[in-house]
Amino acid sequence: MGLYIGDKMMKYEEWSKLAIKVSKASLWMLHFCTGCGAIEMPPVMTSRYDMERFGIAPMATPRQADVLLITGYLTVKTLRRVIQVYEQMQSPKYVIAFGSCTINGGMYWDSYNTIKHLEKYIPVDVYITGCMPRPEGIINAFIKLMELIDEGKARGWEKYQKYYDKYKENQRRVFNFEIEGENEEY
Amino acid sequence: MKSIELIGKGKEMHGRAYIEVMPDELENAIKKLKENGFNHFVMLSCIDWLEEEKFELVYHLWSYEVKEHVMLSVRMNRNNASMPSMSHLFPQIETYEREIHEMYGIEFDGNNRLTPFLLENWHHAPPMRKDFDSEKFVGKLYESIPFIEEDENEGI
Ligand code: SF4
Repeated sequence: MGLYIGDKMMKYEEWSKLAIKVSKASLWMLHFCTGCGAIEMPPVMTSRYDMERFGIAPMATPRQADVLLITGYLTVKTLRRVIQVYEQMQSPKYVIAFGSCTINGGMYWDSYNTIKHLEKYIPVDVYITGCMPRPEGIINAFIKLMELIDEGKARGWEKYQKYYDKYKENQRRVFNFEIEGENEEY
Repeated sequence: MKSIELIGKGKEMHGRAYIEVMPDELENAIKKLKENGFNHFVMLSCIDWLEEEKFELVYHLWSYEVKEHVMLSVRMNRNNASMPSMSHLFPQIETYEREIHEMYGIEFDGNNRLTPFLLENWHHAPPMRKDFDSEKFVGKLYESIPFIEEDENEGI
């Protein structure tokens, strides 16, 4: 199977690699505004920092988006919605996670109800450190993501397909607040 | 303060009226305040006094006429805590009672909507109780879930 570019035949695999490479110049994002980080999105989107300079545009639905932004802490209840959104997106898809809360729980490290490491439930391509990150940090993360896409390293979505069962198992455990091997009260 | 005169006891605290009532006096106290201009129910809050083995419920009311905030406080035993529902006086109390039921495990007799509210699939002890060891819970649940490591040799 292949595609003709001029009179040159291009293999399908080559074509899809090329398509992914060029798609980096127009990242359409879906911002899942949880936590505090959402407040940093308006300046990034509007004239002050103007992310459209970099070809990044906000999208209305998951099916049209390439990048999912998780902008802060997630409760277990929200995580369920995030996963529904993530699974509706079409590959190739990327995740950018904001702030310490998605890295290790941040200031909610001992909360009974927030997940601590987003990475355990969906693959994350780029983390932004800070609590909360500055608009420059957010733009920087997009640039980093573009580099990773260019180098073929932003492959979280493939990881999700490959280890789908493991991800599902982790998700199931956290949704049911399932503690292994005991029913002790806390 | 007007509310203290109405109920006949209580004290002023930081510009608010703080009135402690017994559980069986609560309904009449709220009724009386409501009929006398305290017709804005602000919120219902709960405090866990672990050492004293008590739960404290605080009913906050506000009067637009005299611009006065009154806190009606009622205490009950921590074991099998229960309280008659006040949702017939102000319908919004039902929602507060649902939340407090979920977070502290207090029963409200007469409220038949004490279903799971904010938490999904929760089946451990009510999490806002002071004897709920949040740190230990985090260790056993969130920290024990493994990271998903890639197999180095295979790649993706
Ligand atoms: S990392 Fe900080 S700013 Fe971001 S969601 Fe957590 S607490 Fe809020």
